Amino acid sequence: MKSIVLSIILLLHIGFARAQEFKIDASYEYLYSGQWDKAIQTYNVSRPFQTEKQPLLMNGLNTSISYVFENEKHVKHGINVSYAYFQSSAENENFNNMLKLHFINLGYILHYENAEKPKGLYADLIISATSSGLFRHINGNPFEYDETTSRAFGIGGDICLKAGYYLTLKNNFYLSPFISIAYTPYLYSPNSEAVINQTKELTSKNWTGILTTQIGLTFHLKRQQND
Amino acid sequence: MDRRHFIKQSTLLSIGGLLIPSSLLSACRKETLFEDVSYDVKVIIIGAGAAGLYAAYMLKSKGIDFQILEASSTYGGRLGKLTGFANFPIDTGAQWLHGKNSMLGDLIKKSKTKISLDDSETRYWFNNQLVNSLPQETDIFEGDNLPDISYEDYALQSGLGNEYKYIVENIAGDQGAAASRLSVFGNNEDEEHWSAGDDDFKFEETFFDLIDTQIANQVKDNILLNTVVSKIDYSQSTILITDSNNNTFNADKVIITVPIPILKSADIEFIPALPDEKITAFSKIGMDAGMKVFLKFSNKFFDQNIIGGSVCAAYADDRIGKAQNDNILLAFIMGEQAEYLTSLGSDAAITSALIQELDIMYNGQATASFIASHVENWTTNPYIKGAYSYSTIGMGDARKIASQALSEKLYFAGEAMNTNGHHQTVHGAVETGYREVINMLTDIKK
Repeated sequence: MKSIVLSIILLLHIGFARAQEFKIDASYEYLYSGQWDKAIQTYNVSRPFQTEKQPLLMNGLNTSISYVFENEKHVKHGINVSYAYFQSSAENENFNNMLKLHFINLGYILHYENAEKPKGLYADLIISATSSGLFRHINGNPFEYDETTSRAFGIGGDICLKAGYYLTLKNNFYLSPFISIAYTPYLYSPNSEAVINQTKELTSKNWTGILTTQIGLTFHLKRQQND
Repeated sequence: MDRRHFIKQSTLLSIGGLLIPSSLLSACRKETLFEDVSYDVKVIIIGAGAAGLYAAYMLKSKGIDFQILEASSTYGGRLGKLTGFANFPIDTGAQWLHGKNSMLGDLIKKSKTKISLDDSETRYWFNNQLVNSLPQETDIFEGDNLPDISYEDYALQSGLGNEYKYIVENIAGDQGAAASRLSVFGNNEDEEHWSAGDDDFKFEETFFDLIDTQIANQVKDNILLNTVVSKIDYSQSTILITDSNNNTFNADKVIITVPIPILKSADIEFIPALPDEKITAFSKIGMDAGMKVFLKFSNKFFDQNIIGGSVCAAYADDRIGKAQNDNILLAFIMGEQAEYLTSLGSDAAITSALIQELDIMYNGQATASFIASHVENWTTNPYIKGAYSYSTIGMGDARKIASQALSEKLYFAGEAMNTNGHHQTVHGAVETGYREVINMLTDIKK
């Protein structure tokens, strides 16, 4: 274990030595999925015995790590890994139903900034492969049937446009508020309705499109060209 | 513009640009359908089975005026309860919860209804003896590229000879069908949509009690029993329903939940006549004969499940999952076997045929310890006429066509109208009940 950790640190160190910029985001994320809305709305309307309605999957948190390669051009490229978490919980008598939705994206970044003005606007275009995991918990425990956990995995593609503004913190450290908008035109997740509404293709298709927006902060560790 | 001013304005614009559309979008996104909408319509539901009762329960929750017309003298449809025959209550109709990933699974959890996994063991009557396992694999009816032929023919093609006839009959019987009529392709397609889970559960009380206490109790004041609908005139804006006693009822919308044989046999006259496409779709949905016979014995000589009898392909120990232990053996009879036993003409003759078969299997112990029987023949019930629906050869998308609403006035529910693989089940019937209420309210909202 110790050797694995040391290896990772060494790789990061070597990697960072070649990096133009390393950044970590934390943001609030707003999600819209028509198909999942429909499944939750159907769940709510079809169960009059649940007085507390299930909230839509809408508000979540996102964090990401990006690594922009050294390059002297205005447009640089890099890689990005992000994780987002959404939750929906409704507490009813004897029945607390919770949906937990996770996303992991692995993407390629095209990063634009004016290299001559290290403090200023920047923009990222991120094209990612996205994967999702939707889980159901009842009364605090993962819902299981047939000795397996109720879950729906999804896979798709995502395109994200992000804009931020660099503020200097100290030397090579920057902070930037940012906003982003992302669109997943196709996320294949055939079991989602079975997790949300316990049916399949009664209310929705086996795939969904997703629109998300984010607002957050990024911490940058940025090497100047002459460093 | 100085830098400070620029940053301030950019930040405000960014936040505004993100939050204002998000807030507007959030405001448009309702947690539930038909939130804060009132509907001034009168709805009549025909049939007080699981689908009809649940549709009524939904309408009540939305404050919509409704009435249920039920042909028989009781509600529940193919759910029923027998008390006094054994020292535990018996389900005369549906008795297994097929998978707990269903809305009824949620209702069971919420209501703290006691259920238990039915993991009872099976023995087979094979080549005139009881055996613990079969020489050949019989799990051949699921997979890719299956042909649209009968279970019987496919079994023979796959090398399951005549000695497997009643084993295959039992597999088809689980789907409520004769092996000669159930489509391998069609049933496999249905299974691919199934999402409730494969485990079967039994109720310590009864399935009927769950539906009765949790759903029917909410709406039973609006059920009119012994009302056999004979005509539905939907030619005018107000729908006119006539029963067999010439009583009439008016409604703006009608949800029809009667079993498929009632629609197939044209027991209800529609004015104007239903489209040919719909009538053809009804005719393609299968529903075979089905009965349950409860046999009471003084001794427990039988196994938990006995599969493969030529008179009855599936016997099951009915005490499984119950708190008490009278020796009740259930004979679960479907398809051609149910047709044959029905043709015997009396409950006594049916019981006798079953006892004779059990005597052969258990060396006369059935006759020696037989006490009483109760025959629940769903085939001879004039308002049911069978067991439950199944997929026939060449059925195609008949269920989808059959379940489509007509003229935004007539809506079709019931287990046979379930298009998401859950037909044949109570939870599948319930799903069609709420589906059609959603469809109806969507039409009204237009």
